[in-house]
Amino acid sequence: MMNRIRKSLPGLLVAMTLPFSAPAAAEEPQYPPSAKRAVSFEEDIEPIFRENCTKCHARGKAEGGFRIDVRDLVLIGSDSGIVVETGNSEKSYLTHVISGVDPSTKMPPQGEPLSDEQVGLIRAWIDQGLPWPTGITLGRFKEAEVKPREVIVPAAKAIHSDNPIDHLLVSYFQKNEIDFPDIVDDRRFARRAYLDSIGLLPPPDELKTFLEDDSSDKRTRLVEDLLSRDQAYAEHWITFWNDILRNDFTGTGYIDGGRKQITHWLYESLRKNKPYNQFVCELVDPVTGSEGFIKGIIWRGVTNSSQTPAMQAAQNIGQVFMGINLKCASCHDSFISNWTLEDSYALAGVFSDEALEIHRCDTGTGEHAPIKFLYEELGTIDATLPKAEREEELAHILTDEQNGRFARTIVNRLWARLLGHGLIEPNDEMDREPWDQDILDWLAQDLVDHDYDLRRTLKNILSSKAYQLPSTSWDGQNDEEFIFQGPVVKRMTAEQFRDALCALTDYWPGDLGTDLKIANVIDGETKTRSWMLKRDPFTVAMGRPNRDQINSQRSPYATTLQALELTNGSTLADLLKQGAGRLVSDHGESPEELIHYLFFYGLGREPEQEEVTLISEMMGESLSSESVEDILWGIAMLPEFQLIY
Amino acid sequence: MNSHNHWNRRNFLKSASAATLATLASNSPREAFGNAPIDSPPALADTMIVLWMGGGMAHTETFDPKRYTPYEKGLGSDQVLSTFPAIDTCVDNIKLSEGLEKIGSVMDRGTLIRSYKAGDLGFILHSRHQFQWHTGYAPPLTVSAPHIGAWVAKVLGPNNPDVPAFIDIGQRLDVGEGEELKAFHQAGFFGSEYGPFMIPYPEDAMKRVQPPEGMAPSRFQNREKLFRKLMENSPIGEFGSSYHKESLARSMDKAHRLLNSPASKAFDLSLEPKESYEKYNTGRFGLGCLLARRLTEVGARFIEVTTEYVPFEGWDTHENGHSRLVGMKELIDGPVSQLVLDLEEKGLLDRTLIVLASEFSRDMLVEGKPDLIVKGQVEQPDVIEEEKFYGMHRHFTDAGSVLLFGGGIKKGYLHGVTAEERPCKTLEGEIRIEELHASLYTSMGISPMHKFEIEQRPFYATKDGKGKAVKELFG
Repeated sequence: MMNRIRKSLPGLLVAMTLPFSAPAAAEEPQYPPSAKRAVSFEEDIEPIFRENCTKCHARGKAEGGFRIDVRDLVLIGSDSGIVVETGNSEKSYLTHVISGVDPSTKMPPQGEPLSDEQVGLIRAWIDQGLPWPTGITLGRFKEAEVKPREVIVPAAKAIHSDNPIDHLLVSYFQKNEIDFPDIVDDRRFARRAYLDSIGLLPPPDELKTFLEDDSSDKRTRLVEDLLSRDQAYAEHWITFWNDILRNDFTGTGYIDGGRKQITHWLYESLRKNKPYNQFVCELVDPVTGSEGFIKGIIWRGVTNSSQTPAMQAAQNIGQVFMGINLKCASCHDSFISNWTLEDSYALAGVFSDEALEIHRCDTGTGEHAPIKFLYEELGTIDATLPKAEREEELAHILTDEQNGRFARTIVNRLWARLLGHGLIEPNDEMDREPWDQDILDWLAQDLVDHDYDLRRTLKNILSSKAYQLPSTSWDGQNDEEFIFQGPVVKRMTAEQFRDALCALTDYWPGDLGTDLKIANVIDGETKTRSWMLKRDPFTVAMGRPNRDQINSQRSPYATTLQALELTNGSTLADLLKQGAGRLVSDHGESPEELIHYLFFYGLGREPEQEEVTLISEMMGESLSSESVEDILWGIAMLPEFQLIY
Repeated sequence: MNSHNHWNRRNFLKSASAATLATLASNSPREAFGNAPIDSPPALADTMIVLWMGGGMAHTETFDPKRYTPYEKGLGSDQVLSTFPAIDTCVDNIKLSEGLEKIGSVMDRGTLIRSYKAGDLGFILHSRHQFQWHTGYAPPLTVSAPHIGAWVAKVLGPNNPDVPAFIDIGQRLDVGEGEELKAFHQAGFFGSEYGPFMIPYPEDAMKRVQPPEGMAPSRFQNREKLFRKLMENSPIGEFGSSYHKESLARSMDKAHRLLNSPASKAFDLSLEPKESYEKYNTGRFGLGCLLARRLTEVGARFIEVTTEYVPFEGWDTHENGHSRLVGMKELIDGPVSQLVLDLEEKGLLDRTLIVLASEFSRDMLVEGKPDLIVKGQVEQPDVIEEEKFYGMHRHFTDAGSVLLFGGGIKKGYLHGVTAEERPCKTLEGEIRIEELHASLYTSMGISPMHKFEIEQRPFYATKDGKGKAVKELFG
């Protein structure tokens, strides 16, 4: 990979071809002052370099001949000479260019210049003798460990819990000087647990029983009970998997057979709690019914070489199961990670009947990549084998117990679903630092140690005190600064919201997008839960994504178009109208009872007296379908209804 | 805030737009790499209207007439370039095809591009080219690319906060190739806040901004009042996350403001004077143009009105091309010209950019690029014995016409030259989608290099940030 493309950045070339020793402004340079404190390379300097410089001056890029991968290379300087004079930032050419005093030599050549503070830090670093801890290189992006890691769980006396997550969390809280908060009350816990494990509101009778139960292990027992409801569990979690596996009932590709549903296989796998390693093996090395994932989406017409089915398979395996972004590295060596074009083709090659010619930015290179998985230390793939057997080898390497990243990626996704914010964010970028490495590694190892039982991981999390802490707010910005203090409030998904209303009114209409019921895959109850429906304007507005791309996280925030759909959309209006009719016929005798029912089921609590008064006024003397419809709407619009808090 | 008929956009822009944008941008992809200042050109238009000729509008039958050969039995297909005679327009050097007389009479207000070259996407497929026209990128993609209307909505925000920033008129999504249409009728990675407000039936537009059907206004108000009171009482306030709660409350506020705003009357076509209404009433497209005009008057930001793409309908002529086009021209000629005239009369044309375009053109013999044989093309006999074969039935990408009005675009200007003989391809002034989009964005005050960071990589308004506005179009 020696002949990389060298992009010519005019400013930089000018800079580097100038005679080094005599910058015009050298006599009276007006540089920002050197910082007056001891600088840390890792904290102060490295981020500036990574943000502004490494794109052109590291990882094989050497604009102007200048590289900053390691300290020695900085000292060697550029094609034109020395760039840094150790101990003298005033005289260092680097100070000159990063100060931007001369527009023709400013660095970075494009974009926002460094701030005075940043220049001051780099000056101080030069003045302090270029401190650079051994072992750090800017030559490569930070990568997370692949191997699994055993975590010794400390016995935290400060907390009454037998859940290792909580013991680890005690250490985390201590480090961050946070007092372990009190956990939430029963009704709030129940509402969360129901919605998060089976996607439904707690039915009044079940909630009542739970609230009245005074045994000390009732929360854990509730979690166990919920997770053992195979059908309800599958009907909730299938939405999460549909989103990330790009499985839908309609969409591009289906028009001429360029796509295949995996719905039946997926539903069955979830219902039976198929071990996650086997689950992934069957997606990568397909069995009957799971072929659609590897098949990908084939648009009619000519496809860019980075989007061939084999490349899609590589990208999707990387993203979904490993938290690796191969999309950039499908056209050229990635600028944001260490993955190369060859790495992507090497993985895609597994799924191709013919040897894949490497295309750089859609132009053939004549080269071929040897077939291999991203981390060779996990195992090799025999390129001479037929495709089906290569897929089998890949499936085993990917799901190998030594692939700790495989387990970390899924437990992080589950944590994020339950607690509103992952241990690592974004969920698809598993090279980022978790806010607590121990919790992540412990959950991952526990999954591996217990036959890749995802429901066990869910139980671990749901029964932890961490999950039961009061909810917190997070605006989704600057994930690096996130400090865990409790679950982040979530918004109900489109499916949860609709199911909640259907359950409240016991009215389950809809245009089925899948034939699971007809095919008798689902036994028992025959409610049309929302996940089964075709995308419609209502669920789209509420955030059900177009599954042409992987959707690993839906937006938790409300939009105007959503609110419009909620306010005057015909789908919801019809649902409320029909549903209200049913409520009137079921509860028509007693308006008071209906109010209690709606609050207890919808919000998980009894109404306040003031609320009863408000609603009674609106209701008038006798229950009309219209007034019930409006009350239902009023309750459904409440943040208290729509949020999982 | 705008009880006046002529609503002062500039003042609004100064006072509210930035704030609105900031509050909307909460969950957005970051402006790319956070730091590079984007050098936006000065806006020449506040509103953009795309008039979409879905299905492939043949240039030689509309805005680029060639030698006319009337129908007769036994006609050689290779003799036919245009099935309509050319007509004069109010601009000396611009001739149009018969049936576009009214548009011809306003050509002095705009620019005609004859040298638009559609993307070379292998098979010539409507959905692929429509996707590319509307997003600037060819499918499939690893990230979900936003529609050009979503770009405008995202970067500029609403023009009037009471009117959705991206309105799409006339396209149903449950028709043939509906899934392919959905793939670009969306805001992509910008999120649904910036997605299209769909109005498939312009005559029913009012329903989209009024209480649910059958709900009296008083009941609607009561329902709203109840919700507000319950919300005030709701104990969720104690439990953290003001952020999510506010997000919900704010969205409800905005929706209600839209429904109760004076601007919502613009959606109601029944309020249009009869005489004016009839000028537009050539069908759904014509009424869509009327709706676009009314919405422009109250400060819409981006509107697309389509003749609607349904496979084998509208401009998608696979047979009977000639007779079908008589109807298509009747559909567009009056409304398009009237839209220009009305906006001019109301003093809005200068600050409104109107674009009439199609995904590609058609020809009687050539399929795709000249000299490229494509399988599955429409059967066209060498000798025409039946009238149904008289027309442009094959897909052609090497030239196409685009009409532009307002938004700083030159008046009475003809851009580009195409061959007089088959293949009637672009000879001079070639414009590709990147240049066309760059020109449209530039008119709207958006840099073609505007970018957002998605999955740690930059995503540009025009492909790779490389689109350059065509200077000759402005003046």
